[in-house]
Amino acid sequence: MSEDSKQLISLRNISVDFKRDGKDIAAVDDVSLDVNKGDIYGIIGYSGAGKSTLVRVMNLLQRPSKGTVTIDNQELQGLNPQELRNARKSIGMIFQHFNLMKTRTVQGNVEYPLLSQKLSKNEREGKSLELLKLVGLEEYATSYPSQLSGGQKQRVAIARALANNPKVLISDEATSALDPKTTTSILELLKKLNVELGLTIVLITHEMQVIKGICHNVAVMEEGQIIERGKVAEVFTNPQETLTNDFVETSTNVKSAIERITADPSLSTLGDNQRLIYLNFIGNASKEGLISELSQKYQLNVNILFANIDQVDGENVGYTIAIITGEEASIERAISDLQTAGVRTRLLQAKQKGE
Amino acid sequence: MAALIPNVIAMKEQFISAIFETIYMTLFSAVIAGVLGLAVGILLVVTQPGGILEDRVSYSILDKIVNLLRSIPFIILLAVISPLTNFLVGTTVGTTASLVPLIFGIFPFYARQIQNALLDVDRGVVEAAESMGSSPAEIIWRIYLREGLSDIIRVSIVTIISLIGLTTMAGAIGSGGLGDVAISIGYARFENDITITATIVILIMVFIVQTFGDWLARRVERY
Repeated sequence: MSEDSKQLISLRNISVDFKRDGKDIAAVDDVSLDVNKGDIYGIIGYSGAGKSTLVRVMNLLQRPSKGTVTIDNQELQGLNPQELRNARKSIGMIFQHFNLMKTRTVQGNVEYPLLSQKLSKNEREGKSLELLKLVGLEEYATSYPSQLSGGQKQRVAIARALANNPKVLISDEATSALDPKTTTSILELLKKLNVELGLTIVLITHEMQVIKGICHNVAVMEEGQIIERGKVAEVFTNPQETLTNDFVETSTNVKSAIERITADPSLSTLGDNQRLIYLNFIGNASKEGLISELSQKYQLNVNILFANIDQVDGENVGYTIAIITGEEASIERAISDLQTAGVRTRLLQAKQKGE
Repeated sequence: MAALIPNVIAMKEQFISAIFETIYMTLFSAVIAGVLGLAVGILLVVTQPGGILEDRVSYSILDKIVNLLRSIPFIILLAVISPLTNFLVGTTVGTTASLVPLIFGIFPFYARQIQNALLDVDRGVVEAAESMGSSPAEIIWRIYLREGLSDIIRVSIVTIISLIGLTTMAGAIGSGGLGDVAISIGYARFENDITITATIVILIMVFIVQTFGDWLARRVERY
């Protein structure tokens, strides 16, 4: 692939093998990945999928067995140790367990990366306070990490990671140890850094909420490989792989809703003039009153059993499970109208008794 | 006083110089073994598999040397090491001669203690420092030694107390000191008050070291 100036991170055919019981196990298996400047790129997978190993390759904390790592047109494996350390300064990283130094104050932690720069004490203090202000923790400058909550610790870690003015921030499960509310506030902070500083962010997670919340692009990893990737809105609304679908449906509660509804014995005796249907609206389709329009047009009775609207990368996505009652031909026409309008439909089969 | 410890009073000057001999042996060998043990302990941590300067050959050599030296009973080490002692200080008997076996007896122990103290430093913090482009020297100085400081103080105290114990055995090669007085005078001449007084003085030394060490460790633990 030609050198694209928009490209900040380029992994080519990366494999990482670990020896376990004398056998080589591929934690990452021939993965190529490009991240553009200004992007927020999410990598999702269950634990053991190799996503953590993959992001550690990006700053060579983990050296790959095969493949090349290029950051900002600089191939990292070709660098000597001193050059690699300099390159790492442009790649900030935050961690699940924050990894703050317990013997240093909040400000001391943020100043740590600045110690190896030729800065006066005043300049260091000024810069670290500025960063603490950016993450909203300036009044905690003299506290120690042990006095902070998890969310505050992660904010300190973010400020510390930004001290070297990195081009990219790698987030290794940074919200996985936090409660949902704190997770949201950390994600808001990351989004703000992306917008205000133009910071490129690569984050890994096992929670679709995180991807949905801030990512523009997503890659789904399983057994060391990327099995699906693309724009979040597209992957989210039209998952191709079972695992991806699993993540999507879990995060929208659709999965549990479908299970609950299809297991309901009272629905196992639907008549010929009834359909149990799952509708997935994308973008503008969810704004129009499609269902009520069609029910009037074709004289249908729509009984909504489940509905949920979600925001994915700024777009609305709606999920509805409903029973449609009416003439069979009318139902067919209504469904084809829905499909024309860009709604994905799937007929559900309620489980028979005793099944 | 004279009625309680008559034999100690009778050899007052020799007893007091024995106290200073013990202090001299402890301090001098503590400083040298301290530097040596700290260096070896750090090297063990950074060269071990997964360390910041992983080097299996260096690690395994150091590890074996430490194990070997720790396996030799100190009373025997005093004797086997005498050619080296002779080479380094020109004699194999006396207080200064005892420094060589004391250093070789205690530094491997200290190196292991340091290794364990530094292994308690959160590996994640070390990894964070690596991700920020810190050099190995910066990581040793600003992460390992700083984050591990209170543990380093604690293991140093344990080591100094062990070292005071070793100096008493060095009497076997005529080192002098409180151990020598307690055994070759107090015990050999059935002058029990000398043995007991020497023991009490040693206990007081240990108590002072322990109290000071605990205070210092707490002082650096402000977080």
